[in-house]
Amino acid sequence: MTWNLFSAYLVSILTEGAIFGIMALGLNVIWGWSGDFDLAYYGYIAVGAYMTLVLTIGPASATPPAQYILGLQLPYPLAVVIAVATAMAVSLIVGSIALRHLRGIYFSIVTLGAVYVMYVIAGQFVPLFNGYNGLSGLFDPMGDWLGLDYQSYQYFFLGLSLAMFVLVYIFMARVSSSRFGMALRTLREDERAAAAFGRDIYRLKLKGYVLGAALGGFAGALFAAYLTAFNTSAWAPIEVIVLYSAVLVGGRGNIRGVALGVLIMGVLVQESTRFLPRLPGVGEFDTHHPQVLLAMRGVVIGLVLVLFLRFRPQGLLPERRLVDRQAAADITPRIIPTNSEASP
Amino acid sequence: MSAPAATSALEVRGLTKHFGGVFAVDGCTFQTPLGQVTGLIGPNGAGKSTAIDLISGFKLPDSGTVLFKGRAIEGLPPHRISRMGLIRTFQSPREWPGLTVLENVVMARWDPGRESFVGGLLGLRGEQRVRAADELSKAREILDEFGLAGLRNERAGNLSGGQKRLVEFARIRMAAPELVILDEPMGGVNPVLGERMAVAIEGFIAAGTSVIVVEHNLPFIERVTEHVIVMAQGTVIAEGPFESLRANQDVVDAYLGEMVR
Repeated sequence: MTWNLFSAYLVSILTEGAIFGIMALGLNVIWGWSGDFDLAYYGYIAVGAYMTLVLTIGPASATPPAQYILGLQLPYPLAVVIAVATAMAVSLIVGSIALRHLRGIYFSIVTLGAVYVMYVIAGQFVPLFNGYNGLSGLFDPMGDWLGLDYQSYQYFFLGLSLAMFVLVYIFMARVSSSRFGMALRTLREDERAAAAFGRDIYRLKLKGYVLGAALGGFAGALFAAYLTAFNTSAWAPIEVIVLYSAVLVGGRGNIRGVALGVLIMGVLVQESTRFLPRLPGVGEFDTHHPQVLLAMRGVVIGLVLVLFLRFRPQGLLPERRLVDRQAAADITPRIIPTNSEASP
Repeated sequence: MSAPAATSALEVRGLTKHFGGVFAVDGCTFQTPLGQVTGLIGPNGAGKSTAIDLISGFKLPDSGTVLFKGRAIEGLPPHRISRMGLIRTFQSPREWPGLTVLENVVMARWDPGRESFVGGLLGLRGEQRVRAADELSKAREILDEFGLAGLRNERAGNLSGGQKRLVEFARIRMAAPELVILDEPMGGVNPVLGERMAVAIEGFIAAGTSVIVVEHNLPFIERVTEHVIVMAQGTVIAEGPFESLRANQDVVDAYLGEMVR
């Protein structure tokens, strides 16, 4: 492999990893803190991606069957803002229905229904997002404006994605240790007790849900620019499983764990399947049987998921607890990780 | 009757709730005095737990009025009632199992400014930091008082049943409500711990929290309460000091029975 090829590969997995990290941090709000197994989550990513594309790309003159495109050609940052707002609005509608009375598996069923509705609308209602063909043609947003060629644009976009990930991470670290983050956890732990001690369960859960979806939408907007296109096939059930596995393996509720989980499940496991020993009869780089790789990816992720659920359900880095070092009032409490296995 | 808030912690009038054909609570009417411990007793199925759920907003009454601090609170959601200063416990302890004992106690206090999303992000700053530190030292103090200081960093879910009861009491001390309704606090609790809880209830009164205790453990009721309300079949059949109830034939028939011999 030449250096150029390798660096291009590295740039692409790191960019993907950063975007994937933002998605996982959003899911962590909903599942890690608030405790709801949300199956509609990838829908908000898709809304973010679709909205970004439909707002930025030009008129549909080039490709005859396309009849969807608004041709607005909005600047990318503005489209991202609108995309995030739309994802939040959709999640507000879904959340206000699903979170009112339903919990556990019933909540999951409703969100599965919701994401299926989104999926079918995006796929079937052609004037919206061009149906199953989806949207394409978002090339190097802001590239011209910045005067970047294709090669340097990839580095720019990697930098942008990483910077966004770091910003989101710092923001979520703040939320995690905030009283708001703690209140979300009381809902996960026992929401009747939370209500008895003054928490408005529904509003609090809804806030967490919309916050998570906002991150999903934002990641979707970045993802659309990275892929340059989006359609329903980019929106497969496996994607949401990968996200859940990243949060679970890293440590549900712990943002450092979530970042680690993304590195392991989203980057390492995902990429390692590329380097599996070649099967006899399967061509170089599996150009003839691309499905084998895709299938192996699912198998490996499923296996890791099952092993973690069985042997380490709290993840590699379990959620941190406030640990009060000393009873003396002048000592500020430190936060260190605790491991439920280690406690008696 | 014009100013019930001055003398009673809680006033319930004609509270009714039925499930299908069963009238769990049927025209229940009572008042509990301010600054005292009131016992609520009665046989299983008397409607005590349903009455608590109706009062605390966890269930909606079919009819009737609940007055707390002179305001009608029936039909309000639980968090609103809690924020007004009426907190209830549950028959089985409902700690936040994954959080530490200290976190359980700290989070018992609802803090609107810091708990909103924006407030939370702006937090850990100036005045909020001071408040957080005050809260923490208050929580430590309370845990010390309940003999839980050594367990403060333990996950609450790992504690024994009795310890969880104490955590629940510690949370109430932290929240400092005006009225607390304790739903069978003695369930599964040994006598030594029971005495500790009796002392804790006295502590609630001293801290300005009126108490209603639902309990089947009659020696405990006798020990802690000044006033007892007896329910049977969804309604109040008698009330008064515990001593006077022993002489009440209705109460003996409905509940005390062989206890009194």
